[in-house]
Amino acid sequence: MTQTTAIHGEKISLLRVLGPGHVWALGVGIVLVGEYMGWNFAVGKGGAIAALIACWVAGLLYTCVAMIDSEVTSTVAAAGGQYAQAKHIVGPLMAFNVGLFLVFAYTMLEAANAITLGYLVQTVGSMAGFPETHDKPFIVLTIMFLAWLNYRGVYATLTFNLVITAIAFVAIWVLFFAVQPWSSVYMKHGELLTGLPYGWLGVLAALHFGMWYYLGIEGTTQAAEEVRSPARALPLGTMTGIITLLIAATMTWYICAGIMPWEYLGQAVTPLFDAARLTDSNVLMVLLFIGTIFSTLASANGCINDASRAWFSMGRDRYLPQVFGAVHPKYRTPYRSIVFLVPVALVFAYFAPLDQVITFSILSGLLEYTYMAIGVMMFRQKWPLGTIKRGYVHPFHPLPAIVLLLLCSATYFAVFLGYGTQLIAMMVFYIVASLWFALHRYKFVRRGAQFTMPWPKPVGY
Amino acid sequence: MAKTPYKPPTQSAIGQTFDTFFLLALVLAALFVPLYLGLAGGGKTMLELKDTSWTGMGQNATMQAQWEKLGFTPGPKTEENATSAAELIAARFDYAFDPVELAVTALVVLGYFFIVFHWSRKEYRDVIDERFNGKK
Amino acid sequence: MNNFQLLEYAAWGLSALLGLWMLIDLIRTDRTYSEELLTSSQEGEIEDALVIDPTHQGGHR
Repeated sequence: MTQTTAIHGEKISLLRVLGPGHVWALGVGIVLVGEYMGWNFAVGKGGAIAALIACWVAGLLYTCVAMIDSEVTSTVAAAGGQYAQAKHIVGPLMAFNVGLFLVFAYTMLEAANAITLGYLVQTVGSMAGFPETHDKPFIVLTIMFLAWLNYRGVYATLTFNLVITAIAFVAIWVLFFAVQPWSSVYMKHGELLTGLPYGWLGVLAALHFGMWYYLGIEGTTQAAEEVRSPARALPLGTMTGIITLLIAATMTWYICAGIMPWEYLGQAVTPLFDAARLTDSNVLMVLLFIGTIFSTLASANGCINDASRAWFSMGRDRYLPQVFGAVHPKYRTPYRSIVFLVPVALVFAYFAPLDQVITFSILSGLLEYTYMAIGVMMFRQKWPLGTIKRGYVHPFHPLPAIVLLLLCSATYFAVFLGYGTQLIAMMVFYIVASLWFALHRYKFVRRGAQFTMPWPKPVGY
Repeated sequence: MAKTPYKPPTQSAIGQTFDTFFLLALVLAALFVPLYLGLAGGGKTMLELKDTSWTGMGQNATMQAQWEKLGFTPGPKTEENATSAAELIAARFDYAFDPVELAVTALVVLGYFFIVFHWSRKEYRDVIDERFNGKK
Repeated sequence: MNNFQLLEYAAWGLSALLGLWMLIDLIRTDRTYSEELLTSSQEGEIEDALVIDPTHQGGHR
């Protein structure tokens, strides 16, 4: 911590205190909840086998995302992550949209987490003999508590995340070994797998929720202004994060598909907790209950962190009202953004159904990945290798970008199947918001000053 | 050629508040309008189940055991049989779609990205011009 | 009134308390510091040199 006397031009900034472990916790913490809930809707959309294919195809999509993200973010290290990247690579309107994608994807995910946590408390309540338990107070408490934690400082917030994410991850491993995957005591894939109820169309449709296994891993970049050495810690945290998730996703599928009929699995709210219930072991049940609670908390916590950083960066650049660009002088957090997003998350968690909230989150993520694929190609074109210092260079360019673009197109189609109206509603929202920005809001933005990276002029300008 | 940098106007407190609430309203509308119009989450159907015994619903012995462990019962869903698994088993997505709808959706998505990238390129040129101000 | 109901009321109470705390601190902070200082953060500042940490200067409470 620096301590200087007040001199002319004194400034407050976010606090640089985080290490690679925190980055991992932020990335995996947001996503791991996807293993505890949500991914199984992919089973509903295409059957258990389709969900496994979707798990791996989406895994490929996210490996591309992580590679591209690592390269760009090791170069553009700024809070706001992909937003700041879009601002430097593509241009203001795209950046504004990307910023909104981020805020939306994370705030919706936060709401989904709170809903799940409330549901779980309700389930336990009725199991304990109180069928009249409400979920609302616990939904509200989750959001309030985590917002408060975020308000009070990033170090405590993400250390808390590191601990609870690690526990939730270990819980999956324990369950995996407890069901003895090598024997058929619990695992009955032979009798429970029923092929593809919707044929190959179902496999494609399952991609929609297959993304849920990994959605949010790209959020690691939001910590860029709070990490001690961003060029090293961000790629390291992101890549170890995606590997962690690939392992956890496959284990989760294996356990759940081998223990539950697909019709149930496809509509369950807390599949891993249900799997533990089916083992008849109280210890496992308690462990997976804790795992589910912790993973939802870790995720909501990371989401508040990321959404508020994105909102804050946009405020700082005056893409949004500049009051949001404020940093708390004592806690060094974007406190106004954190407080502002609380009621938004509350409204969604309180009034909207879970699969809708998840779909909105997924769609925003999907739009963001589409941008990333195009963005990285422009990045390599405007600043070819060697013109600026990159902390990490992703291999096989432009193959990952092309694969990412193809998979994104397939996923749009998957969302269209069954959730076409939301897709259109979402697009209308972004189109109206874009018009509002381009025609009204952009006049308050400084032009040259928003390009903050010490880079040479881009090729072709 | 050195251009004078663009000086943005400072936004009044009222303007800032108004912009904030405008965005908030837009966000809420995007989520709740489809919900209230009942347009969201369509595309689901129910299989006609004539026989709602476990075997009649296509469940083998292993599946039956797991359903029962999860607290479900066979038979049609009624007031007395609130734990029936019939509705869960019969629920299906309806993937029949209208190619015209698909084409319109694809066009909207493509059009959106085209406009955003195009507009951004114009704004970006300004940013670069001002930032580098003719310098290399 | 059972234990779970008590828990529910506790959850509501705690939520309100945390919300209130944030709101009060937000208002207090906004009134204590100048808007210029609060919004002085800049993107792309890797150097910590010019950054002050008012907690170490004491006395703002």
